[in-house]
Amino acid sequence: MALAGAGMLLFALGLAVFAPLLAAEDPRRALLATSYAIYAAPSAQHWLGTDDAGRDVLSNLIFGARVSLTVGFFASFISVAIGGSIGMLAGYAGGATDRALMRFTDVVLVIPDLPLAIVLVALTKPSLFNIILVIGLVGWTGTARLVRAQTLAVKQRKFVHRARAVGASDWRIITRHIFPLVLPLLVVNTVLVISLAILEESALSFLGLSDPTTVSWGQMLNYAFSRGATSSGAWWALLAPGAGIVWVVLGCTLLGYGLEQILNPRAKAHHLMRQAAPQTSAAQSASSAPADALLEVRGLSVDFVAPQQPPAHAVQDLSFALRPGEIMGLVGESGCGKTTLILSLLRLLPAAGRITAGQVLYRGRNLLALPEAQLAAVRWKEIAIVFQGAMNALNPLLPVGRQIAEAVERHDPAATNAAVARRVGELLEQVGIPAARGRQFAHQYSGGMRQRAMIAMALACDPKIIIADEPTTALDVIIQAQILELLNTLRQRLGLAVIFVTHDLGVVAEICDTVLVMYGGVAAEYASVDAVFNQPQHPYTRALLAAFPDFSRQQNALVSIPGQPPRLHALPPGCRFAPRCSSAVAQCHAQQPRLLRVGAEHYASCHLLQPTLPAGGAIPQPA
Amino acid sequence: MHAGQLLLRKAGSALLTIGFVLVLNFFLFRVLPGDPARAGIKDPRMTRAAQAAIHQRFGLDKPVLPCLASLNPLRRGPCLVNPLQTQFFIYVNNLLHGELGISYHTKIPVGQLLRARLWNTAVLLSAGQTLAIVLGVAGGVLAAWQAHTRIDYAALIISLVAWSLPTFWLGLILLFWGSRYAGLPIGGQLTPGLAAAGTWAQFTDAARHLVLPTLTQTIIYLAEYLLIMRSTMLDVLAEDYILTAKAKGLSTFQVLKDHALRNAALPIITIVALNLGFTVAGAVQIEAVFSWPGLGQAIFESVARRDYPVLQGAFLLLAVSVIVANLLADLLYSWLDPRVQAAL
Repeated sequence: MALAGAGMLLFALGLAVFAPLLAAEDPRRALLATSYAIYAAPSAQHWLGTDDAGRDVLSNLIFGARVSLTVGFFASFISVAIGGSIGMLAGYAGGATDRALMRFTDVVLVIPDLPLAIVLVALTKPSLFNIILVIGLVGWTGTARLVRAQTLAVKQRKFVHRARAVGASDWRIITRHIFPLVLPLLVVNTVLVISLAILEESALSFLGLSDPTTVSWGQMLNYAFSRGATSSGAWWALLAPGAGIVWVVLGCTLLGYGLEQILNPRAKAHHLMRQAAPQTSAAQSASSAPADALLEVRGLSVDFVAPQQPPAHAVQDLSFALRPGEIMGLVGESGCGKTTLILSLLRLLPAAGRITAGQVLYRGRNLLALPEAQLAAVRWKEIAIVFQGAMNALNPLLPVGRQIAEAVERHDPAATNAAVARRVGELLEQVGIPAARGRQFAHQYSGGMRQRAMIAMALACDPKIIIADEPTTALDVIIQAQILELLNTLRQRLGLAVIFVTHDLGVVAEICDTVLVMYGGVAAEYASVDAVFNQPQHPYTRALLAAFPDFSRQQNALVSIPGQPPRLHALPPGCRFAPRCSSAVAQCHAQQPRLLRVGAEHYASCHLLQPTLPAGGAIPQPA
Repeated sequence: MHAGQLLLRKAGSALLTIGFVLVLNFFLFRVLPGDPARAGIKDPRMTRAAQAAIHQRFGLDKPVLPCLASLNPLRRGPCLVNPLQTQFFIYVNNLLHGELGISYHTKIPVGQLLRARLWNTAVLLSAGQTLAIVLGVAGGVLAAWQAHTRIDYAALIISLVAWSLPTFWLGLILLFWGSRYAGLPIGGQLTPGLAAAGTWAQFTDAARHLVLPTLTQTIIYLAEYLLIMRSTMLDVLAEDYILTAKAKGLSTFQVLKDHALRNAALPIITIVALNLGFTVAGAVQIEAVFSWPGLGQAIFESVARRDYPVLQGAFLLLAVSVIVANLLADLLYSWLDPRVQAAL
């Protein structure tokens, strides 16, 4: 887009520079027009017809590019120089200087540009120089505000503080440290200011305020409009000059928009974009999972696709089962696919995420095959999620209680307002928040309260399963203990099943029944909590446990796992952990291990392990 | 901070800005060539007594500022002028009594002249702006929701092109097309001679005159609002709370309506208010094309006639409207966004 814009501008620039060569006739040449030459329709001789004085419109059009571009560039240079200086000075100096300069800017900003320019140009003299000066002098306010904001932001950066600490002069700090970071924004802004200046010039000359010694597009339109082009049907005299203006301004707009996109890239995707339909095996094969399993995930695979890139296998062939009242810990390093896994259970993946295989069976129903409307009825009512980072997961503009009530109303449309209000109060009290604070907003809550409010929200519809994505990270230990206690109580009282995503192995040991250890998108080990902590089989699990500080023993140094988690775009061909594994053999680098049954209710994927039983039943069955 | 305090603070700041505008406005027309005191009395039809009356009424025989004379190095001396007897003070005093001066050209009080013109411009602007805001917001939401699809790209390209159109040229083209092929009037507010017709006939005639100017304005501003709405909406829809809302089982429509629209609408409010100044610039052009007897036309005519009191009054009126609109936008913003009050 930026390239297209730049191309359009270069073309116009070429026209302006080579106008005398390109144009058929010089617009300034005196012409004795005969009446039939006036407003002649386009012909071989006059490609764009003639105007009210019998002149060639195309030639005028080509010469007109000169004025537009001259005014655009020079006026915007003045605007940007003034606005940039004022903005940078105000932003850098702060205090009274800032207030005074910004007040001045506000005052100039509220006086409408064009009328002011009209008055100034009309009362001086409409020469090209005056027009440039006036447009430059009235159009700097936007730049000043923008540059000030950016300067303020840059000023807070560490290297500016450092430069000041070593005694650099203000001038040096501004020119060497701040200006280079303001510059990209200023360039984008300049392109916009140029287009505004060109529009303003054309408007002025359309209103009759143009330099009579030159030809400009606005002036051509002024003559055409005031001298009967409309009534004589001379569309070419109206269309052509306007097309010239649009060409140049659109070139600037595209260039500016394109540069802005490069400079300040926006999120490519959002949560309401159309999802690719999940690929799932509809056939209900005989399940080897326990008959009372509430949720059963079979062979789930998720890819992230991006144009011109190989798909990233975020989750691959993952299976587990969850029974009522069971708490499963989901552990693994950041980026191992934990969040992708839980989002795919309710098909809440970002648009780039594709479910490529597997089944998610909730009470025997495959959620991956449900139509969107039916799935929406399952969401929150059956399976609710406590999202990571409650500050962002709560809508800042709606009272917290309202957001909880919304969930209740969605899944129980018959509930009266009073019943909903009572329920919301109850839920908040349950997590230790006074019911009256439901009227408050998320920013009025402390971090712990927000997290608890999220949990209250998750409990709103009495779901059977709660997926808690690091619900206790960033909370102090007392709150953390309260939340764990609450989940435990609910599990006992309501038979709530929980998938608990966490980094904290201590918490896992405390409340979980089973543990699923993920590494690079696959299950490394899956077993009961006892088995994982007492007889870890997978080298990764062992490394993870070793890295967890044990306060019951004297330990001198923190142990860490060497290397980095695998990049999902370029996974190793063999075992994903092999590059970091201390006991890897040749086979580990060549072949991907399968999930083996290594104990009674114990599964691990490692070439070094011997299956205790033939791995026929692919679905692991935890205790 | 309480809402009352907020109101007071914002209103105080607005008043201060109005004060500065007043000063700037006053001096702008004193330094420009064509002194109002001399220009005003050129009219030979005025009697000397009438001239003297006008002079006295607006203090044109008084010095501009108390000590301006004493700044002259050739006439250095004590400042002997009573500050209350200066043009500036008299100007401000007259303003406080609602006196904006008398038009040099038409001899009508400026306040009266501008009131009628302002009303016409307001009719023109409100119709176009309302349409542009409604359609722009709806289009922006649609484009953002359908991001990176054909609908989105079409909306984006059309908006960028529409944004690049000069207002007056779009008006010209629509005028050309509308008057030739759609049988719409070429300008003005009412067909001459229709004043005697029935109310309904007058109303439909006025509506027909409004079509093209309104359409021009709608297209120009629709593009801007759509682009802004689209980009804020894209940011909002990528927020975590949108995912929460979706996970709660809300339909796409509910998520858009209850969670996204309000959050994304906040920047639009500021832009619309700030835009008021620019919409007037657009109005000048539209009024010129369609011979619409509004404020922009009044400014344009007054420039040609050096009718300084009208210009001064129009500028003040416009600046005050923009300031008031910004004040309202600020208050609306803080009412819609609970975080603003907390941040103050």
